[in-house]
Amino acid sequence: MTALLEIDGLNKSFGGLRAVSDLSFVVREREILGLIGPNGAGKTTVFNLINGVFAPDRGRVRFHGVDITGHPPYHIARHGLARTHQIVQPLAELSVLDNCTVGACFGRENLSLARAGAAAREAAVFTGLEDRLSTPASQLTIAGKKRLELARALAARPRLLLLDEVLAGLNPTEIERMVKVIRSIREQGIAILIIEHLMQAIMGLSDRIVVLNSGQKLAEGAPTEIANNTAVIEAYLGDPALATTLHGGAQP
Amino acid sequence: MDGVLIGSVYGLAAMGLTLIWGVMNVVNLTHGAAIVAGMFALYLLTSGIDMPPYAALPLILVGGFLIGVALYWIAVHRMIGRPPLMILLSTFSVNLVVIGLGTAVWGTGLFNVAVALPGVTWRRYTFSGTHILAAVLTAIIAGSLYLFLYHTRLGKAVRAVANNREAAELVGIPTTRVLSLSFGLGVALAGAAGMLIATMFPFTVLSGDAYQLKSFVVTALGGLGNPAGALVGGVALGLVEGFAAQFMPVSWTLVIEFVLFVVVLIIFPRGVFAFKRS
Repeated sequence: MTALLEIDGLNKSFGGLRAVSDLSFVVREREILGLIGPNGAGKTTVFNLINGVFAPDRGRVRFHGVDITGHPPYHIARHGLARTHQIVQPLAELSVLDNCTVGACFGRENLSLARAGAAAREAAVFTGLEDRLSTPASQLTIAGKKRLELARALAARPRLLLLDEVLAGLNPTEIERMVKVIRSIREQGIAILIIEHLMQAIMGLSDRIVVLNSGQKLAEGAPTEIANNTAVIEAYLGDPALATTLHGGAQP
Repeated sequence: MDGVLIGSVYGLAAMGLTLIWGVMNVVNLTHGAAIVAGMFALYLLTSGIDMPPYAALPLILVGGFLIGVALYWIAVHRMIGRPPLMILLSTFSVNLVVIGLGTAVWGTGLFNVAVALPGVTWRRYTFSGTHILAAVLTAIIAGSLYLFLYHTRLGKAVRAVANNREAAELVGIPTTRVLSLSFGLGVALAGAAGMLIATMFPFTVLSGDAYQLKSFVVTALGGLGNPAGALVGGVALGLVEGFAAQFMPVSWTLVIEFVLFVVVLIIFPRGVFAFKRS
C-alpha cells in the first residue's frame, strides 16, 4: 500500500511551548490510523498542521504526492482532505442538507450545485440524517451534530478523512452506530486518521496506531503491539486498569 | 402609501449595510459615502454624457461592486480579527476622505437630477413615476440578491461564511475572497440605493450621513445581519416618515426616527422583525 499522507519532521511551537516536535508518520491508502495520547499531547495541533490551520515551524506535509505545507485550509480541503472537529462547527443557521451541500460544492470535485445537492443527500443518508434534511443544524442533538460533521466531510468526497473525537460525548448505542459508519467509510476506499480517547473503540477500529506524548511520537504499530508496549503503558497510560481495557479492546 | 415606495429604497440601502455586518461583523462606515457616490455617479452620467438615468443603474452596481472589493483590500482586510474599533476608524476615515474630496470638487450645494416620468393616479392619490420605478427596481435587486444567496454555489458560500467563517474555510471555501465579494455587494447595494434616491430627491455631498443613519434605524428595526428584515424595516421607516409628515414639519421626521431608533433598541435589541434567530 502506498502512502497517501506523509508527515516529515513536523515542528510547531506556541511561544515557549513545543506543541509538536520532530513528528513523522504516514497514512497509507485505505488505512485507518489511530492517533492517541494524553490530553495536551498535541493531537489536535497535528490535525491543524495537516489541514493548514497552522503552518509548521519546520517539516513538510505531503498529501497524494503534493507538498501542501503551509497551504491555506480551503486549498487543502480541495485536494481531498476533509475534517471533523472535536468541538462541532456546524453552519448553525443552514439546514442539514445545505451544510452538506456546502461541503460538496467546495470539496475535491468542485461539484455544480445540482450534483452537490445529490452528493449531500447521499452523505446525509449514509450517516443516518435522512429524516433531518431540512432541520437547521443548530437544532440537532450533540450526536446529530457529530454525524452532521461527518456527513459534511463525506459530501466533499475526500481521499482522507481526519476525525477528531467523533465518539466523545456519545452514548454506547450511538458509539456503536458511529463505529459502523466509520468502518463503512473505509470500505468506500477513504483513508481515515482518527483521534480518539475511547481506547476500546480506537483499538478495535485502527489498523495501526501512533502514540503521541508531549508532542513527540512515543510509539507506532498495530493495536496489539501498542497495547503490550511497556513504554506506552508505563509512561503514558500509567494506570494498570486502563492497560487491561486496552488488552480487552485489542483482542475481542 | 408613498412611504412604502420610498421606504423600500431605504431598505435597499440598509440591505447593503446589513449584508456586510452579517457576513463579516463589520460596521461599514463608508456606507454613507457609497450612497453619495451613487448619487453623484448618476448626476455625472446624466449631465456629463447624457445617459438616460436608469441606464446608469447597472453601471453603478458594477462600479460599486468593484470599488467595494478594492475598499475591502485597502481598508478592511487587515482589520479583520482586530478590535472592532479599528474597523470603525478605518472605514470612517475612508468616509471622511470621500466626503472631503466631494466637498472640494462640488461644494455642499444642492444637486438635482431631473427625471421625467409620468406619475400614476389612483382614485385621489397620485404616485410619482420615479418613486414607483425606484420601488420596482429595488424589488428586482432584492429578489436577485435572494436568488443569489439561496440558490447559487457562491451564495451558499457567502451564507456559510456568515454562519461560521472557520468551518467554511475548512470545508474548502476561500473565505477571504468571499469577504471581499460580500463587501463589494454591500457597497454596490448602497450605491444603487443612492442612485435611486437621487432620482427622487435633491441631494448634497453631505446627504450620505443622513441616509447612513436611516440605514442604521432600518437595520435596528429589521435585525442586524438580516437582508429580508432590512427590506421590511425600510418600508416601516418609510411609512413612519410619510405618516409623521402629515402632522408636523418635515424637519421633525429625523427626530421622530431617532426616537424610534432608541425605543426599538431598548425594547427589541435584536430587531423588531428579527425572525427565527435562535
